[in-house]
Amino acid sequence: MSIWAALAGGFVGTLVLTTGLRAANTFNVTRIDLPFLLGTAFTSDRTRAKALGYGAHFVNGLIFALLYYAVFAAIDYSSWWLGTAFGLVHGLFAATALVNILLPLVHPRMGSPQTSAPDVALLEPPGFLMLNYGRGTPIVTLAAHLAYGTIVGGFIAWPS
Amino acid sequence: MNDSVATAPTRLDGYAELRDYAAIGDGRCVALIARDGAVDWLSWPDLDSSTLFAAVLDQARGGSFLLRPDVPHTVARRYLPGTNVLETTFTTAGGTVRVTDALTLPDTASLAPGRELVRRIEGLSGSVPMSWSVQPRFGYGARIPIVARRAGVPVAVCGAEAVAVCAWDAGHPQCTADSVTARFRAESGTRALIALPYAYQEPLVLPTRAECEARLDHTTATWRQWSDDRTCTGPWRDAVLRSALALKLLVFAPSGAVAAAATCSLPEELGGERNWDYRFSWIRDSAFTLDAFLKLGCAPEATSYLWWLMHASQLTHPHLNVLYRLNGGTRAPEQALPLSGYRGSTPVRVGNAAAGQVQLDTYGELLQTAWLYTTAGHRLDADIARRLAETADFVCTIWQQPDAGIWEVRSSPEHFTQSKMMCWIALDRAVDLARRQLIPDRHSARWQRERQAIAEFVETRCFSERLNSYMRSAGSDDLDASLLLGLLHGYRPQDDGRLRGTVSAVQETLREGPYVSRYLGSDGVPGREGAFLACSFWLAEALAGCGRIDEAVSLMDQLVALGNGVGLYSEEIDPTTGAFLGNMPQGLSHLALISAACAIGEATR
Repeated sequence: MSIWAALAGGFVGTLVLTTGLRAANTFNVTRIDLPFLLGTAFTSDRTRAKALGYGAHFVNGLIFALLYYAVFAAIDYSSWWLGTAFGLVHGLFAATALVNILLPLVHPRMGSPQTSAPDVALLEPPGFLMLNYGRGTPIVTLAAHLAYGTIVGGFIAWPS
Repeated sequence: MNDSVATAPTRLDGYAELRDYAAIGDGRCVALIARDGAVDWLSWPDLDSSTLFAAVLDQARGGSFLLRPDVPHTVARRYLPGTNVLETTFTTAGGTVRVTDALTLPDTASLAPGRELVRRIEGLSGSVPMSWSVQPRFGYGARIPIVARRAGVPVAVCGAEAVAVCAWDAGHPQCTADSVTARFRAESGTRALIALPYAYQEPLVLPTRAECEARLDHTTATWRQWSDDRTCTGPWRDAVLRSALALKLLVFAPSGAVAAAATCSLPEELGGERNWDYRFSWIRDSAFTLDAFLKLGCAPEATSYLWWLMHASQLTHPHLNVLYRLNGGTRAPEQALPLSGYRGSTPVRVGNAAAGQVQLDTYGELLQTAWLYTTAGHRLDADIARRLAETADFVCTIWQQPDAGIWEVRSSPEHFTQSKMMCWIALDRAVDLARRQLIPDRHSARWQRERQAIAEFVETRCFSERLNSYMRSAGSDDLDASLLLGLLHGYRPQDDGRLRGTVSAVQETLREGPYVSRYLGSDGVPGREGAFLACSFWLAEALAGCGRIDEAVSLMDQLVALGNGVGLYSEEIDPTTGAFLGNMPQGLSHLALISAACAIGEATR
């Protein structure tokens, strides 16, 4: 169990998570695009937003991996399956509170139920379980986070 | 009708004339208020949510918020200049009272409720006995709430929704099982206030009177500021500004989508079944919408709308749905509600089965919208550019299909001429965007080939030499007012003889005074409908495009006079009675007004 393993797991996990979401996006299963959602917090230039968003997304992936590591260290136990469980909680948190509630509150270009006539949102709010972005979104998001958690857990637990 | 002239409000079978409704909104939801002071429509929390008040669709079960003098009176109404805040003045033998209504905009000075309706009552002279009654009915009248007092304030609760009835100097509210009522006297120089704060999936916020007053003033000032920033000129400036404000009511601020209308199931034929839900965003309207935003100087709204359009259509790409939900969703299942309908017009439908139709003109609208956006100096990002190019590729493969056409007929699909024209527009705009290096140009040659093939189809199979006009569909003998869009969107140059002939043919066949029908043939739905207002404005604009300026100005003057007393339009008008028909306020009617007024204004300069 080491911080370096957590960071490596975070990087690989984010890579898999992002690739999975992008693939689902390409196959019209969902309109979710986490890097785009993050990037537009900084700029309204769509191309630049995606570039920035991917950077921010990977940083977030590493931060979450460190949080996983902190919990593993606190309970002095780590395994891939516990990582999967963390991924489940992480995915549910992302789809309900993080992206649906918290992000619209701090995102200058995302709509929220409070957005009214004087302002117009550039990004529609994700809605509960991000269902506004398509009915396949909750499943895809959850699956991607399960994969992320499994990978991070596996890296941190490896080789023990 | 002129609402600045005081007349007595009337109802027939308990229903106000649709012409008698004014709309207020906050960028998220819209309420309709009748001349007699009744709020007969309000969907909360969003424009496409179920209703708290729907008396316009069922007087007995819909729910409403009545507020009026208890004695005979006349009514004069107006919007406060440059705002969507309504001012109603009741005059009685004993005095005069003024009611100011708004769905307030949140401010930063106080903890604002999620949504809030505020009604300020001011005694101007004498003493007027007033009564009011709030009958909340959640879920399109299906769910009667429990009314109880919380901290002394009447609160109606139903599941995840709650609305409070806060009243100051407006009598002592009496709670019955399902409503809140009170009486009071509006004395000269006094001011009362009634506020309905609303909460959905969160605790209610019970505001103070000072906060409500401040928010009402803030709302007025904010609307006025928005209007001051608009670029409206020309002879019909006031009508254009009112249309801009009406359009702004239909902009769903949390996403940037624009609803076709604020209501559902207001009938196109009294007692008939042409009752549709228009609280969705139609791709059909997108080019006019973006054009209006750009002409009015609404750059943020234009950018938001294009972003929403591309975002919402991503899931169905390269297919385009006819309509999308305001939150970007694609499902709009149609169902009938157990309501009696406006003056017996059933079924009352929510959802819209047109969502599943094939409508080829939408592809032309999308490409035209993007083209207008770039012509105004905006850039497309690489992802949108790629998808637009793929859309053009898709048009090459589907344009030969029959479709339901712009009017979404429920009869068999046909080769509608306007649909083919818009496919031509799609490829023409794609070629131009590619030429300017704004979208990938590797398929430009194919787009040009297919554009030529579409033109040959339209010119050989959709044109009648006998009538010197394009016809409704290939091989048809019918005319259709949507053919005017071929001229307005630039299918052929404005001096083209065939388009000029079509304008004349539409005028001779479908026009009656200022009224223009969409078509005369069947559409797969029983019953008839009124004259379609957007078509009248399109004809006025087309006449100007043909250089027939005097006719265009004359028609435009007549059409501007057809608005209701506060300048709003529904979808259709009964040419015989002048009664409004269909949902209101109707975005397409107001968009067509803005487009025609600007075009004719330019032509006359």
